[in-house]
Amino acid sequence: MPTKKHKSSDAPATVETEEVAPAGNGKEETGKLKANEPLIHLIVFKLGKEFYGIKIEQVKEVTVTPNITRMPRTPDFVKGVANIRGDIIAIMNLEERFGISPENMDVPGSLTYTLVIEAKEYSIGVVVREVPQSLNLAVSKMDKTPSFLQDIAIQENYIEGIAKVDSRLIIVLDMYKILSSDEIKQLPN
Amino acid sequence: MKSREQEYKEIFVAEALEYFDALNRLISDLEKRPQDDQVLAEIFRMLHNLKANAKAIGYLQISDVSHKLETAFSLIRNKELSFSDEVVTVLFEGVDLLGELIHNIDNESYGEPDPVLLRNLDIIVDNLSDSTIELAKVQRYNTSKNLSLSELVYIQIKKLDHLLNLVGELVIDRDRIVSISRELDNSELKSVSSHLNRITEDLQYSIMDARLVSIGSLFNKFPRIVRDIANAEKKEVDMVMEGYDIQIDRNILQIITDSLLHLVRNAITHGIEKPEIRAKKNKPRNGNLSLIARNDRENVLIQLTDDGKGIDLVQVRRAIAERQMLPESAVANLPDSEALSYLFEPGFSLAKQVTEFSGRGVGLDVVKNAVDSIGGRIRIDSEKGKGTTFTLQLPTSIAVKGALLFEVDEIFYAIPLLHTEQVVAIEIDELHEIGGVLVADIFGETTTVVYLNELLNVKEQEMRLGDKSRLKGLVQNIIIVSYNNRKLGIIVDKLYRQQDIVVKPLSKPLDAVDLYGGVTLLGSGKVCLVLDVPAITRYFISRRQVMAGELNI
Repeated sequence: MPTKKHKSSDAPATVETEEVAPAGNGKEETGKLKANEPLIHLIVFKLGKEFYGIKIEQVKEVTVTPNITRMPRTPDFVKGVANIRGDIIAIMNLEERFGISPENMDVPGSLTYTLVIEAKEYSIGVVVREVPQSLNLAVSKMDKTPSFLQDIAIQENYIEGIAKVDSRLIIVLDMYKILSSDEIKQLPN
Repeated sequence: MKSREQEYKEIFVAEALEYFDALNRLISDLEKRPQDDQVLAEIFRMLHNLKANAKAIGYLQISDVSHKLETAFSLIRNKELSFSDEVVTVLFEGVDLLGELIHNIDNESYGEPDPVLLRNLDIIVDNLSDSTIELAKVQRYNTSKNLSLSELVYIQIKKLDHLLNLVGELVIDRDRIVSISRELDNSELKSVSSHLNRITEDLQYSIMDARLVSIGSLFNKFPRIVRDIANAEKKEVDMVMEGYDIQIDRNILQIITDSLLHLVRNAITHGIEKPEIRAKKNKPRNGNLSLIARNDRENVLIQLTDDGKGIDLVQVRRAIAERQMLPESAVANLPDSEALSYLFEPGFSLAKQVTEFSGRGVGLDVVKNAVDSIGGRIRIDSEKGKGTTFTLQLPTSIAVKGALLFEVDEIFYAIPLLHTEQVVAIEIDELHEIGGVLVADIFGETTTVVYLNELLNVKEQEMRLGDKSRLKGLVQNIIIVSYNNRKLGIIVDKLYRQQDIVVKPLSKPLDAVDLYGGVTLLGSGKVCLVLDVPAITRYFISRRQVMAGELNI
């Protein structure tokens, strides 16, 4: 059954509490926080071998992926539509969208999860393989996108920045920019 | 169900009472500020409307009293009558009388209005400044006036839209609950769900009903427009309209308003000939234009007919060939109705060669898009020299659509019934491969048929629309759809029932995918894709052209 925003108990130890910016309660993974420094709350998931993050404000809920109805003649990364609490939303596979080769091919019967993203104009679901984690980190831990990335790939400016947490790099996506309506119009006709 | 007449009457009374309340307020204002022209103008406008409305619906007493008051106020406005105490009293009494007449509209025992008061009104109107004639004292009218609020509320269409969306959601959940209760087989749950079923249906139809307006509200605007266009074109046009009382969803009427105006304008400028030319052709000098609305099962038909010069099919065919929309050999064999359908292609009339009816086609694609957008249909019939008829087939309501459910490659689909002609099952031997597509003789008509699985699910490079070996099984279920005067048979894997569905529009970003008109949820909770017949037809045609092109290379 879908659960509204996985509580930390469902997820591995790195998962933090749900409240946005619970400033100063020493549980932060990045324990060396300076007092009063603004925090970013991310939902972190894996695509291919890398970790990606989406700001929690852009995530409406996390649920076990429901039944998806395929929608013929839409781009491959559109997996179809699903009924999530009465809303019919498009389900995307970001690995296919970004051309990332998946780390391990589908294990049959294994659960996947869907992040429901509510952006300015649309809602989409993003399928991920592992339980997404929730993470607080200080703004200073996030670098803006490296400039060469910004320069070459104008279309790729959906990368908002790179966060460094311990030894991990987390690519923070700006979901508002991730899907231009031109792309979805890649219709056969 | 109340009759239309009763409803009109209620609307009239409610409006009249509003005018009455406003008049009372305005006269009191005027008494304090007799020089205020704005207040006077407002009073004048209300009395005038009240007079006209009352006359139209046949309440002559009300229109008579309104007329007298209106005259009195026009004298005041022209400074021919001073707004003196005496006059004010009479006017207040006159307005009170109006109120009383409105309140007693249904009261048969009410009798005649007080003749003394009527006489007083006449006196102030007729005798201007002659103060020698005494105004007779009138028995005070309403010492015990009841305060009452209007029976009518105005509501923004936006709020009705919202209600309709909510009820759509409710219907979907209702279907789910009904289906679950059937599975669980619990008698208590069953009885609750059947009650829920009934009240949801009631609610749905009540809201749909609240959104209905009569087509007359649009038709009433046409006589004037027709007169103006005919004048500008120096043509003489008699217009006949029927079906004012036909009911249709307000938003649907809104969407087709421009289209209908466009068609009417076209009919006068390009259809109906000038009087001299008509005389030469032995036609009456006055062109005839008829605009007729009627109910057709669950739909509304609007027919616009002119007796003008009609459309020259020879020229249409030539234009189709010249614009290379079809090979010349195919154009010759094109049935008339299909040839006419090309008039709806974008930019068709821009062809310079077809000056005869250029302009006829300008914007016809826009008209068709508008009709498509609400799931309606449009067709042209025309005979050269005799005239042209446009027929618009429109749904009465946008909320609920009868649809045919079916399955292709384990996905559920629905096609709105408005676009389906018939359903047939034929054996695979009766399908023939001709020119890269499948063709079958269906009830004596050669119809192009397409396997939906091939069209939707096979990679475009590997698509073989004419390959019978792709079909499964011996007997094929075919849904014949019709779009723009053209028929197409769609082969589906499994055919299910006919069902009323609530179509949910696709939310962004999927709304850009035009093959689907929306989605609906089935009682099982499964998502069902609603196919957009115009888009499917267009996609089929474009694929066919691409494949034909590949063969030629």
